[in-house]
Amino acid sequence: MRKMSFSKIWNKTKTFFSKPANIILLFFTVLLTAAVIYPLISLILDSFMVQSISEAREINETWGTAVKKGDFTWAQWPNLLFNENSEYSLYFFWQPLYKSVLMALLACVIAVLGGGILAWLITRSNLPMKKYISAVFIFPYIMPSWSIAMFWENFFKNTNVPAANGMGILQALTGICVPESLVYGLIPCALVLGIHYAPFAYILIGGILRNMDANLEEAATILKSSRFKILRRITLPIVAPALISTILLVFASSISSYTVPAFLNANNSFTSISIAMRGLIITAGKKGQGYVVAVILLAFSVLILTINNWFTRSRRSFTTVSGKSGQVSKFRIGNKPWIKWVVGGVIVAFVSFFAVVPLASFVLESLLETSGNYATMTFKYWFSPENFDVRITAQGQSSQGIFFNSTIWKAFGRSVLVASVVALIAGTFGILIGYAVSKNRRSRIANYVSSTAFLPYLIPALSFGAIFFSLTFKEGFQWLNVSSTNNEMSAVAICILVAAIKFLPFASRSGTNAMLQVSGEIEEAAIITGCPWWKRMTHVLFPIQKSSLISGYLLPFISCMRELTLFVLITSSFSLLTNVLQFYDVYGMNQISNAINLLIVVFVIGVNFLINKLTGASIDKGIGG
Amino acid sequence: MPRIELINVTKKWGNFVAVDNLNMIIEDREFVTLLGPSGCGKTTTLRMIAGLETPTAGKIIIGDRVVFDSDKGINVSASNRDIGFLFQNYALWPHMTVYKNISFGLENLKWKKEDIKNRVNEVMETLQISEFRDRYPSELSGGQQQRVAIARTLAPNPQVLFMDEPLSNLDAKLRSEMRTELKRLHKDTDSTFVYVTHDQLEAMTLASRMCLINKGLLQQYDKPLSVYNFPINLFVADFVGSPTMNFMNAKAKQESENVINLEVLDIKIKYTSNEPVKLKGENVIIGIRPEFLLIRDGGSIHGLAYSTLPSGMETTVKINLKDKILSAVQFGAVDYAFDQKINFDIIGKGVVLFDEESKVSFALGSCEVIK
Repeated sequence: MRKMSFSKIWNKTKTFFSKPANIILLFFTVLLTAAVIYPLISLILDSFMVQSISEAREINETWGTAVKKGDFTWAQWPNLLFNENSEYSLYFFWQPLYKSVLMALLACVIAVLGGGILAWLITRSNLPMKKYISAVFIFPYIMPSWSIAMFWENFFKNTNVPAANGMGILQALTGICVPESLVYGLIPCALVLGIHYAPFAYILIGGILRNMDANLEEAATILKSSRFKILRRITLPIVAPALISTILLVFASSISSYTVPAFLNANNSFTSISIAMRGLIITAGKKGQGYVVAVILLAFSVLILTINNWFTRSRRSFTTVSGKSGQVSKFRIGNKPWIKWVVGGVIVAFVSFFAVVPLASFVLESLLETSGNYATMTFKYWFSPENFDVRITAQGQSSQGIFFNSTIWKAFGRSVLVASVVALIAGTFGILIGYAVSKNRRSRIANYVSSTAFLPYLIPALSFGAIFFSLTFKEGFQWLNVSSTNNEMSAVAICILVAAIKFLPFASRSGTNAMLQVSGEIEEAAIITGCPWWKRMTHVLFPIQKSSLISGYLLPFISCMRELTLFVLITSSFSLLTNVLQFYDVYGMNQISNAINLLIVVFVIGVNFLINKLTGASIDKGIGG
Repeated sequence: MPRIELINVTKKWGNFVAVDNLNMIIEDREFVTLLGPSGCGKTTTLRMIAGLETPTAGKIIIGDRVVFDSDKGINVSASNRDIGFLFQNYALWPHMTVYKNISFGLENLKWKKEDIKNRVNEVMETLQISEFRDRYPSELSGGQQQRVAIARTLAPNPQVLFMDEPLSNLDAKLRSEMRTELKRLHKDTDSTFVYVTHDQLEAMTLASRMCLINKGLLQQYDKPLSVYNFPINLFVADFVGSPTMNFMNAKAKQESENVINLEVLDIKIKYTSNEPVKLKGENVIIGIRPEFLLIRDGGSIHGLAYSTLPSGMETTVKINLKDKILSAVQFGAVDYAFDQKINFDIIGKGVVLFDEESKVSFALGSCEVIK
């Protein structure tokens, strides 16, 4: 009897492993548990641990305990959350949290309204110049969010704002000075994030509207509903799940945004939760509290993921509707034809402003000795081999013009290296996960792998960096800590590790969507002819979904090139191009930081364009599925 | 040569039993259709034989080779079972031309280049698709795609061919054409065909034997006409035949060894069984094929015309008999006015009796109305 059951288990195991999809699932169960779940748990544990000697001293003084570095303690949490000593908690936790939530909510409203209305206009109205609008509208999403922030500063800064250096484009051209609250702080941060994520909302909502069976709306038209009643009673409820997903994802990304508030922050007056967290982690003696913030941000994300799943579960069927019928009759904007041209013109002007003008402003700023003063135009920040700043030279780094600046080009090389390797790893893993999940849709292990692969998306970039930052202090991982090894390749290695996991969600999403679209029979037809697994992947599945799958490589590459928040803790000031940019910004060399910004944006847009032309892949395919 | 044998094959998904302890033998060079309503387990059965699905328990033998045995842990992969499989949606690879679609499998089998070329040309010739060799599947009509799929399946000369509702995506005219050709193909290729369908007409016309499955259980496995003429139970009787068999509840009383007296809707009928029977309970169901209801002026049963459906060659007449609607088939086009009086008889020796409790048939015979 016993022998029988053993052989049964053995047979079952053999059958299980005869399918490549199962081997992949098992591999990723182990890998993702190690790379996502384990660090998460270790972060939570770290928030209950005394991180340094000075931290131990502070805890002992406040609580009358006798803990040493490395001991377990409850004290980090109350120390951060309920410390009324000169209103410490208020300034270092509650206010930043409040500001960040407010900023994220505002950004959500802007992104969803902007992206949603445009998506509706593009798919359902007779708006002119649709092609140009939808192409250019994506730009702010391809650009790093902080480059929009930099542009915002370049454009609106003025001599009435003490924190700004020099005149912005607006003041130089028109003499108008906007108040400080429109240049720095909450409102511009929310606007910039909203503009950055509006294309994301546009892609998600537009995708649903495009795929929605037009019959659904036509049926309502025949039943004599008005255009607006259809929108309110038919269209909106159907796109509601996408709308909610968008709101939640934008909220999750915005609340933990580090770079935008870091750039649009005059004299540290606008401390967001992520800025507070970075301060705590970098400051000796507060690391533990920093981890507490990371855990709290994490809890927010998990909550958001849960809400999102709850909303989409009961309504998921809506999102898969796809129709055979042609387009519904288009909504006519205005009674007279010129009205739609005016509306179109306004939208074109608006999207161009945030797509084209930033690039122009980066060029301009990199050429002006004094910001806003066009008489001081010079090419020396591009072409001069001399060093401009002795403080930088003293650190062994170059402050020469861009084309001679070894610091910039070395960092550029490392950035491209990191982005390429990350794209290769994340993209390939994404395809494998997509394949394995699509083959085992109902199994528990597939659910585990697909949600664990998605989890990094919701972990705020800075928390994610913090997790691996704390790892680099552990035995056996110290070679990854750039500040102790002084070798930039340490930073490259850990950035590859961190980014490959962080950007896996994009790739695994697009991989899963692409694989689900291929009917299982397509692969089975190849199985029967004796085609081995790897050949089925490379000769059958990959070519069929080529453009979607390449998007799975493209998205991590682009995200990685423009990423700063994720890397800011685990790199030195010179590791990657984005680090270097921030470094020059800190030293007041606006010309060079603007030039680097231009370099990144042009490179990213160029790569996107090239891949799009060569393979048909594009980032909206990756997100929208 | 391949003879397929299924022994106690069971497939479960969690608690759901898709196929329950199935035993069947498909003889060499047979054309077997698996027939049943959707979700009955017929496709699962086919996929298990092909090796695309792993049974929970049981044993499958193709030819003299055991390809699956849950006890011994044998599970030969689909690619090594020497089979062909024709999918419902054709599953043509959209990024390959017609030629490439057909040659791809032969390349995997490591055929010589020359042989591949000759074989692909040969099957394209057979299926009359040579002119499409450089086209992509999306540039072909449904019928042409179907031919390419068949060519691809036939190319490696499989000994057994599995087909999963291959005609269900075609329009009615094309479907009947392809049926004719498939039957011809079966003879020409000299191999065993196993064919899944939910269309009873297709199952009847193509098969040398048909296998009826319901809720994972085998119902009847026999020659099509045997199934039609003497269905083993109520499910089979109802599923096979169009228009469906007429069923009426009746009270039965054994008169002699071969004779049973029936009372149906207050009509007294003398039922003469073709073979001696023994009545088990007094509640029975009488099943009469539409062609055994003969409408004629002197008919001894009187009903009303409920609706008439002439199709040209034949006419289906729905008769209202005391609020019970019966179907009768009449040769040629006739048209009765609504609620016109109709007289008819029950003719022939093919009237079936079912036991009401077990729903199993127990007698085949003829009816005579007692005045």
